Amino acid sequence: MRGALAAAAILAGAALALGQSAPKPKPGASGAAPPAAAPAARIGCVTCHLALDDARVSPPAKLFADDIHAKSGFTCANCHGGDPTTEDMDAAHDAKKGFRGKPKTADVPALCGNCHADAALIKKYNPSQRVDQLSEYKTSGHGKALAKGDATVATCISCHGAHGILPVKDSRAPVFPTRIAQTCNRCHGDAKLMADHKLPSDVYAKYAKSVHFEALTKKGDLSSPTCNSCHGNHGAAPPQVASVANVCGTCHTIFADQFKQSPHAKAFADMGLPGCVTCHENHEIVHPTDAFLSTGKDGKCSACHDAGTEGARAAAAMYRDITALKTATEKARAALEREAEAGMLVAKPQFELSKAEEDLTKARADVHLFRPYEVQQTVAGGLTIATTAKAQAAQLARERGFRRKGLGLSLVLIGLSIAALVAKIRTLGPGEKP
Amino acid sequence: MSSAAPDRGPLGAALAWVQDRIGWEGIAHLAEKKQVPIHRYTIYYYLGGMALFLFLVQVATGILLLLYYRPSASEAFESVQYIMAEVPFGWLIRSIHSWGANIFVGVIVAHMLSVFFLRAYRAPREMTWITGALLLFLALGFGFSGYLLPWNTLAFFATKVGTDVPAQLPGLGPLLSRILRGGSDVTGATLSRFYGIHVAILPAITTVLLGAHVVLVQQKGMSVPLSVESKKYRTMKFVPDFLLRDAVGWLVAVGLLAALAAFFPWELGVKADPFSPAPAGIRPEWYFLSMFQGLKYLPAEIAGVPGEMVGVLFFGLVGAVLVLVPLLDRRASRGLPSPWWNRLAVLALIGALVLTILALRPPPGAAP
Amino acid sequence: METATTEYSRRRWLTFLLGTSLGATLVSFLYPVLRYLVPPETSEPSLSEVELDVKASDIAPNSGRIVPFSGKPVILFRTAAGELRALTATCTHLACTVQYRGDRSDIWCACHNGVYDTNGTNISGPPPRPLTRLDVAVRGEKIVIRRA
Repeated sequence: MRGALAAAAILAGAALALGQSAPKPKPGASGAAPPAAAPAARIGCVTCHLALDDARVSPPAKLFADDIHAKSGFTCANCHGGDPTTEDMDAAHDAKKGFRGKPKTADVPALCGNCHADAALIKKYNPSQRVDQLSEYKTSGHGKALAKGDATVATCISCHGAHGILPVKDSRAPVFPTRIAQTCNRCHGDAKLMADHKLPSDVYAKYAKSVHFEALTKKGDLSSPTCNSCHGNHGAAPPQVASVANVCGTCHTIFADQFKQSPHAKAFADMGLPGCVTCHENHEIVHPTDAFLSTGKDGKCSACHDAGTEGARAAAAMYRDITALKTATEKARAALEREAEAGMLVAKPQFELSKAEEDLTKARADVHLFRPYEVQQTVAGGLTIATTAKAQAAQLARERGFRRKGLGLSLVLIGLSIAALVAKIRTLGPGEKP
Repeated sequence: MSSAAPDRGPLGAALAWVQDRIGWEGIAHLAEKKQVPIHRYTIYYYLGGMALFLFLVQVATGILLLLYYRPSASEAFESVQYIMAEVPFGWLIRSIHSWGANIFVGVIVAHMLSVFFLRAYRAPREMTWITGALLLFLALGFGFSGYLLPWNTLAFFATKVGTDVPAQLPGLGPLLSRILRGGSDVTGATLSRFYGIHVAILPAITTVLLGAHVVLVQQKGMSVPLSVESKKYRTMKFVPDFLLRDAVGWLVAVGLLAALAAFFPWELGVKADPFSPAPAGIRPEWYFLSMFQGLKYLPAEIAGVPGEMVGVLFFGLVGAVLVLVPLLDRRASRGLPSPWWNRLAVLALIGALVLTILALRPPPGAAP
Repeated sequence: METATTEYSRRRWLTFLLGTSLGATLVSFLYPVLRYLVPPETSEPSLSEVELDVKASDIAPNSGRIVPFSGKPVILFRTAAGELRALTATCTHLACTVQYRGDRSDIWCACHNGVYDTNGTNISGPPPRPLTRLDVAVRGEKIVIRRA
């Protein structure tokens, strides 16, 4: 009941603010925004708010100057209501003119949604921008908790900011891909707040160790996933166990397809195990290594497959094959590099060898079929190439050896000449006396 | 001077005609007259001839390398690789040039040491020594400039360090370094410059100095050590006795070079990448190691002057002393022994040797 | 008299030995030098430009093939519109070799399903960066690839 009242009040207020006139049910849709009086209106609020030098009232006025909404012609009154045209403080802040002051947390999503859920209005500014944020938000963990009256959860302004809102593509925006994780961590790293919600507070720390974080922040790959890529942004909620493979599969398509064909797909579903995450973790997704297949401390398979079982044998077979190809390609590469540094031409065998290295990458991908035979097939092709490359390196080394034959002949001739010279010198006598 | 004999046939006549025009008799007379003293130190006389021979080997192989080498940052490495891998016997020519350069420097250092300890620089042979000392610096210049030409990682970074040395000099130092590098850093411009220095500037200066050096040796004849001078000794003719013995040494040298080239072909290394970090264990050619290591050990400041500047000035002083030894060693010029000079030289040699050995140790933090 | 004769023949023999051995040595020096002067059959050394053993007419529109370029694979393809293009064929994700997909007219990496468009721009899947464009020229019948 209270929520409905509040929503009604916001709607009314927003209508006033946008329309500057008699309330209409949907002023935005009428196309009246931005108001024609915008410049004057801005001056109205800002004149006092900047001059007041009060930590409560002047920073929003300062920040708003850089706000995307300000640049599009919106004013303070569009959200806060009141009369921006007057310099009389009481008149400007008159509740009768729709002045609302600081919106309550619970009111924020609807306030923003007032415009952002209005397709006709948004289309005037950015035709490709989505307008489903509010409805998505209502499906999110945050939105559901807010609806239940929990005001500690995130709303629009928690992530986007309230007065200095920047477009998502602005690298200074808190929702820019490289900054999202830190933005989420402002709440999700707060141990007390998370404890209250029975959530872990170490997700950022774990994510920071992941390959995705590395790709995003160190390699500058903005397509690398951050929090919202898997959890959704406005509809933020953890993926369900059954959908993990789908979520990872949005990028890792091959693995997802392979996994779905694999015997694990059904087994995991039956056991309620969350697909990819079972071996790769959820947030701390580190670089996978071949040792995942081993029975050592990094081994993943041995957690379920006891030694001696078929599963353990399959893991051992895949581990053995992949390791064999890895060793073979590394050795061949090193042998070719030695020849190259000695000055031999190795471009062609190096080119061939890169195919074996590609097979290694493919074999590692094939692991996700969890059928040793498939891995073995890929490895076999790579091993043949690596063996050939190594033989070519050995051939080059022998070629360098052949030079010694020519040297031998030359040295024999030099030796003969020296012998003849020495014999000649002997005939010359001991030299002249002084 | 005419000595055309009627019974020589057309070939002999042509020969006589040429000999007549070039004043062959005078040359033959000089060669006939030239004598080489025989005593316990005679062996050292061969070092000069050996150095000259190795220099000619460098000239010959260097000219051959010019046929395929391309002096640009984008092609230098590839062209040396092409020489090593594709051109018939290219590996031999390039390896002999590289090995020969090192042996050449070794031989002229040995030549200079023997001349020093035998006091062969004393009057009237001061100018022979001075031209010789300058030729040593030129040889080091050849080595330094040639080292960069294959444009591999090691050479690139060693050159970076090496061209930074003159920048330490007060006043014109930074400008000198810029001139040497052809810019503020080692780049393709440096390669062009070093190529020009290596194949044109240094050979031109060397030709003049080497000519002067050899003419002076012929003019003054072989020096006899102080300890032998007073005694009686035999002599041998330069032609053919000494020359044939020289030839034995040269043949041994060629055999050695060919063997080194076949068994240890000079490495090509990895193409220089100016943007990659300096690899561990970069070092210059062996004859610069003592200086390289010496500069490393100097403290940041010595009496308010940057340590490296002190070091570079010190090396400059050593070089100047080396050139001017015949003028500084007054006792030798009066025919007296000068043991202090011996002690100083031995001390300098031990110092250089220790620093070189220290530089050859593997770096403590070597990459795994 | 007899000793003089033997002495004479000994000298002659020595001179002969000296002459032939020095001559043979000289030949063994000159042989490599002469061989060196004759350039090898292979094309000139260059990393920045490679002439391929591929005829321009061999590459049909909307198809491609992998060719070596200084030891690394390059994908040479003809767009559906008939333009010859070359891109580095090493996927920017995990260095597999990419291939041209005629049915979709794009470039695809089989290892992890990375997709690039015909300009080399990464458009789908894990590749973090585009492929590098190379210059292609047709000289007579032969195709020449050059670093752009």
